[in-house]
Amino acid sequence: MEDVYMGIDVGSISTKGVILTKDNRIVASAYIWTEGNPIGAVKQLLHLLEEQVSGEEYRIVGTGTTGSARQLVGTVVGATVVKNEITAHAVGTTTFHPDVRTILEIGGQDSKIILVENGVAIDYAMNTLCAAGTGAFLSSQSNRLGIPVEEMGEIALKSSHPTQIAARCTVFAESDLVHKIQVGHTREDIVAGLCQAVVGNYLNNVGKGKKILSPVVFQGGVSKNIGVVKAFERQLGCPVLVDENGHLMGAIGAAILARRSKKRKEFSFDIEDMEFITREINCGGCPNNCEIICVYRDGQMIDSWGNRCQRGDAAAKKAARRFSEEN
Amino acid sequence: MNMIKMPGRENTTDEMVVGLPRALLYFRYRVLWETFFRELGVKTTVSPETNLEIMRKGAERSASEMCMAMKIYMGHVDALRGKCTHVLVPRILDFGIRRVMCTNFEALPDLVSNIFRDSSFKVLSYDVDSGKRKDEKRAMIEMATGLGFSGKNSAHAYKVASRAQEEANAAAARRTEALYHKDGLKLILAGHSYVLDDEYIGKPVFQKLEKMGVTVIRADQVDRKQALRESEKASPTLKWELSREIVGSLVMHYPQVDGIILLAVYPCALDSMVNDMLIHKNSITKVPVLQMTLDDQTGSAGLDTRLESFVDILEMRKGE
Repeated sequence: MEDVYMGIDVGSISTKGVILTKDNRIVASAYIWTEGNPIGAVKQLLHLLEEQVSGEEYRIVGTGTTGSARQLVGTVVGATVVKNEITAHAVGTTTFHPDVRTILEIGGQDSKIILVENGVAIDYAMNTLCAAGTGAFLSSQSNRLGIPVEEMGEIALKSSHPTQIAARCTVFAESDLVHKIQVGHTREDIVAGLCQAVVGNYLNNVGKGKKILSPVVFQGGVSKNIGVVKAFERQLGCPVLVDENGHLMGAIGAAILARRSKKRKEFSFDIEDMEFITREINCGGCPNNCEIICVYRDGQMIDSWGNRCQRGDAAAKKAARRFSEEN
Repeated sequence: MNMIKMPGRENTTDEMVVGLPRALLYFRYRVLWETFFRELGVKTTVSPETNLEIMRKGAERSASEMCMAMKIYMGHVDALRGKCTHVLVPRILDFGIRRVMCTNFEALPDLVSNIFRDSSFKVLSYDVDSGKRKDEKRAMIEMATGLGFSGKNSAHAYKVASRAQEEANAAAARRTEALYHKDGLKLILAGHSYVLDDEYIGKPVFQKLEKMGVTVIRADQVDRKQALRESEKASPTLKWELSREIVGSLVMHYPQVDGIILLAVYPCALDSMVNDMLIHKNSITKVPVLQMTLDDQTGSAGLDTRLESFVDILEMRKGE
């Protein structure tokens, strides 16, 4: 029986999972779309992971979750570590690329830059609450152009004159784009222009004022777009490394964090068959009227969060009683 | 003050109750105002702590471009309706050269009188303006004599009140100064007192950081005179009094902490310029800086992620 560690990264667009051994060998991995249903996605993910390790002598002794749904999923799988995605990415990347100085990351709705010195993250920046220039922007524009988002990179490479597209704000970028299509720019040039706009936007907003030193590692879903990678290389003037497991780096980091933490709890794949429900209630205990999320497993409330004070706990308990009476 | 004086007003200090909105400069002048009116024998009442209801009412009463702190202020004035005869809304323009307040504080009495023109309370104001040679002392005494108090009583009330406020400031600065010598992870939270002291927008940031085991130190609680002098090192042209205190405090203390969080509300004209300047001034940013802007959204996921990861990075740096 070998002890292994599982990491799950549930983002807004995709859900990633890995099972990692003590010596950082990936024994199972999966990458699926979240499709607005983090719990369903995690169940499906666990199923895929279970298939890959079935019959082997592995015991999952620690589980880490990260990504924007980390708290919800952490509750569902009974995680030993729940960590934010910046730390998870930094830990994952520095384990596989100890000499990295800059980590660029563009995900579905987040984009971030992490600066590393001697294998330790020393500074970072994240996009402000606006999702301009992230994966969500690229995927909505690919819909408009009728091109699968996976093919955008290859199409962009065919262009020799990328169209100039305003990069400051996606709303302006979109109207600019429509205008450029209508006056007759070719599709290749538009797509290449989009890739450049994403890079320009990233460097202007997230990377503003940061010293970007080589080696540079680029990850997150958008790193699979070769057009964006080339645009980064052109604008930064240095090679940009894309790890083949770059899309899994958050999950890998979560697994490593689970290993580093002293907490141990054996994970069982039984939860695939359990029913998880979330309910939103409004506390009503005071004028703040906090929105509280309650998570139920097979009808039993296992966790709740979102309240600003203790009054919320009472409200959640009351809701749980009502819930069990109804069912 | 003339503009705001209501015609035909009688001296009715007996049943006079002065409402103090718990927002903006209340947190800076709480002791001064409360002591001043107590010495004069005038009752005061304070609006409740900020909650979602006050935020919502404030946004309803305000123009959309006003900053969030102003919207909250209007919510507090609204909460005082029916509970007082007067609401204290000073007009504070400046304290001298390069000691200017945000223009919002200049506009405040006019805004409140207009927005709440149908309400039963009167707007009570005093006018601090170096161009008119009016400092805080003269302005507040004038306000009291305008209400019918004798010059002697008014001057006495101001003397007691301003001494109490100064003692409170010095005590707060001493308490804060001691925190810089604590062990463990320390960071400075730099923001206006009306952001940090606000129950709804500022307190949760404190609570979240303290839950992570971090010592949180407020930049605004500082020896103000010294901070004003020190701020020249960061920028010799900075002219806003409140920003200069915070910047000066950062200049004085940044080598003693592990990180700085610049907390602003959206949209703050002062902070947008000052915080950008700080980020590009390398002497202060030898320690990591996190810039955060609060807006009135109720979801806290973005806030949590940013605070958590910032603290993680500080811990990793320290553990090295």
